[in-house]
Amino acid sequence: MSTLDTPAPARAAVPETAADPRPRRSRRRGRTLLVGGILLLVCWAMLSPVLWTAMAVTKPTDVAFLDPPVFTYTPTLQAFVDLWQTTQFYKYLLNTVLVAVVSTVVALVLGIPAAYALSRTPGWVSAALLIAALVFRALPRFAVVLPMYDISRALGIYDTTFAVGAALVAINQPFSIWLLRNFFAEIPKELDEAAMLDGCSRWQTLRRVMVPMMGPGILTAGIFMFLFAFQEYLTANILTDVVARTVPVFIATQLGQTLPMLQQAGAAAILLTLPVVAFAFIAQRYLVAGLGAGSVKG
Amino acid sequence: MRRREYLGLVSPSLVVMLGLLVFPLYKTVEWSLQRVNYGEPGTFLGLGNYAEALSDPRLGAAVLFTVGLTAAVVAVLLVGGYVLAVLVDSLGRAKPWVLGILLVSYVIPNVVGATMFSWMFDSNFGGIVNHIVSLFTGTEVLWFTDPWPNRLMVALDTVWFMLPFAMLVILAGLQGVPSEIVEAARIDGATGWRVHWHVIVPSIRGVLGFVAIISIMDVLRTYDQLVALSPQAPQIGNESIMLYIFNVAFQDGGQQLGLGSAVNVLLILLIVVLLSPFIRGIAKEARQS
Repeated sequence: MSTLDTPAPARAAVPETAADPRPRRSRRRGRTLLVGGILLLVCWAMLSPVLWTAMAVTKPTDVAFLDPPVFTYTPTLQAFVDLWQTTQFYKYLLNTVLVAVVSTVVALVLGIPAAYALSRTPGWVSAALLIAALVFRALPRFAVVLPMYDISRALGIYDTTFAVGAALVAINQPFSIWLLRNFFAEIPKELDEAAMLDGCSRWQTLRRVMVPMMGPGILTAGIFMFLFAFQEYLTANILTDVVARTVPVFIATQLGQTLPMLQQAGAAAILLTLPVVAFAFIAQRYLVAGLGAGSVKG
Repeated sequence: MRRREYLGLVSPSLVVMLGLLVFPLYKTVEWSLQRVNYGEPGTFLGLGNYAEALSDPRLGAAVLFTVGLTAAVVAVLLVGGYVLAVLVDSLGRAKPWVLGILLVSYVIPNVVGATMFSWMFDSNFGGIVNHIVSLFTGTEVLWFTDPWPNRLMVALDTVWFMLPFAMLVILAGLQGVPSEIVEAARIDGATGWRVHWHVIVPSIRGVLGFVAIISIMDVLRTYDQLVALSPQAPQIGNESIMLYIFNVAFQDGGQQLGLGSAVNVLLILLIVVLLSPFIRGIAKEARQS
């Protein structure tokens, strides 16, 4: 955190005018301090819901939601213990991770060849497919998820992680194709031609030349797929009941219940937040790259 | 690429999307023309559901709420995202840390973030914001049951989790602005906000347009955060279009599945209209090549 308080030096030093360097330098310094101060405030404001929840769940239950709030208390991890012992949190967490991992892998396996084909073949078919992908990406979820509910009941797969995973693969497919296509488009076509002259088939070209080159791009798409699946509430809420419930659905069902249950929901929220925050720091480069690629060229 | 290869590469993905997106979508359109319940064949109704939807004052209120929320949130996102991107862009070593912290609200599931958010506000949860507000004004704000405070809370939460996206995309756009034109403007005597308003903003118009359209589509589909932030949304007029669909077509056994499906179809039409500039762009690219 301390890096925030000390604003970094300006990147490229602007040549100072020899006549009167002093006021300018101090103005620059004042400016960097101001920028640092504003950003510090913004960061604090953006983190405050998480910090406040972290406080609420480490308070003893009887003072956790008191009004006015208490600021001095003996921290306790009782809410986490209760969460573990009285609810099936570990099962929901397992469901969430399972759905996210499996749907990410399947979405990539399906999406990579399709995105490759779309990036290499301009023309009406590809344009039509891209437009369809764009519209499906923007679709109101209920337009596909309510029929999925009906279908999953008819097929007897309602409330299974399979149903949620399959739904998420399909729902995230358009975005994954768009993102991957933009990354593929950056690889020169001459490379395919060279590989094919050397005797590679299309599949071999994709597998042996393109995929290795696309490493960071595939990782970026995978990170987004994982994140979207991990976050999904609406789809999981409609397609699950108790068996295949995911953590966001669990947290939502705890709301409006008793205070201890509420505090357990908070504990669950913190347990869910810590790994994704770590994720935000570790995968930052890819998140930034993905948002950049999705926009500037998309 | 030969046609057979093309089909071989595209078809797995296409089959999944046909089965799990196009077919359900077809069901929705079919349902919108029927009186129907889950698991039963429906009876054909024609455009009755559409007539009912368009004359339902509750849907009217939901549209008004959703559009108002969208306008307010997107305006704040564009201005706030730009200012924040400019500030972050000027950072040096601290940049990864600041970006990491700013990304937190983006990676937390919306419904979970909204839950955390609600605890800061309402007196039922000993909210800090409520505490500060009543310390200064002496009045107790009812964040959950009063329409306007509730709207403010929903809007703040939506800005909270969407701002990182807007900021990052604009930041990527700023990196593409050639430094020569900024230098040239400075040499010509333009200073401060004039450089931003007359030089930088126009040159990233496309990026700002992208942020606007994506944000508009996302806020129009507001649902998750209302579950945690507005448990009494229908009563206080803070129901979004998506929450309306959920309430009429799923809650309590979904007695009005046909009506909900009709609203789904109308919402899709609206989104296609909003997307039309992008669709035209793709079509133009295809024609040129």
